[in-house]
Amino acid sequence: MNDSSLHPLARDYLKRLKKGAANLPRVRRTELIEEIESHLSEALPAGASEAEALNVLERLGEPGQIVAEAESGSKEALEARAGVRESLAVGLLLFGGLLFVVGWFVGLHLLWSSRIWTTRDKLIGALLVPGGLLPALVFAGAGIQTCQGGFEPATRTHPARSVTHCTSEISPTLRAVMIVVFVALIVLPIFSAVYLSHRAGKPRVAAS
Amino acid sequence: MIEYCVLALLRDGERYGFELVRTLSEVPGMVTSEGTLYPLLSRLRRAGVVETSWRESPSGPPRRYYRLTSSGRAVLEAFSGEWASFRDAVDHFLNQEKAA
Repeated sequence: MNDSSLHPLARDYLKRLKKGAANLPRVRRTELIEEIESHLSEALPAGASEAEALNVLERLGEPGQIVAEAESGSKEALEARAGVRESLAVGLLLFGGLLFVVGWFVGLHLLWSSRIWTTRDKLIGALLVPGGLLPALVFAGAGIQTCQGGFEPATRTHPARSVTHCTSEISPTLRAVMIVVFVALIVLPIFSAVYLSHRAGKPRVAAS
Repeated sequence: MIEYCVLALLRDGERYGFELVRTLSEVPGMVTSEGTLYPLLSRLRRAGVVETSWRESPSGPPRRYYRLTSSGRAVLEAFSGEWASFRDAVDHFLNQEKAA
């Protein structure tokens, strides 16, 4: 933009702003100066009176104040980012059930108290297979127990041998269903963990 | 809090910086210095909740327009719900005080 289209007081103001913003990262400095310059050209026609100009500049605030705000931005928690807490929550939700079950509840607490996830995310994290991978393990254990291996001692008619007793006959359909359930119990907690990690990676505005 | 006001102003469509800043500063008690809103807009852009594009203006230099991203819309929606229950909770205690 051509500086000469600006009010003299606005030009002076911009000069002070550019000087004050010298330490900002280049892209942000350019962005800030462009925006203030465009604000001045909208608010202040070149032919405006001195009183009008002073009023516009007063509303705008001191350049130092604006630069301070721009500098504080990087330190502020406005861009809430996933931290250790969120990683721990996802990890415990997946594997915590295997840590004496209580680990999963710790994960649940961390999930619920985090500001990163929305309520919907939290519900998915909590309800898509509560216990994480634990139910898959329990399910597999139960499946194995229906067929028990044993050892039959030697008798007069035959020598000692190992045998497998199945408590019930498993039909192929039931077997297929059990495999599907087992796979689902593995896949869904992993999906939920991946989903939460993905959502945590998205920048959002923290409640402040 | 002003962050959410900006997002709310963009709910129905894009606006350019000066327009946003003037709308906000016209509400008494909202903004102390108009200039500090620009770094705030820049932070919202970097947080991915708004995006910007340059557009010709009918008069004067091109303007930088701001609009909500889908992530910004989700943040605004989540905040609207939280804010409503927070406001109700505070009202509950304030009115209790008055009644006592």
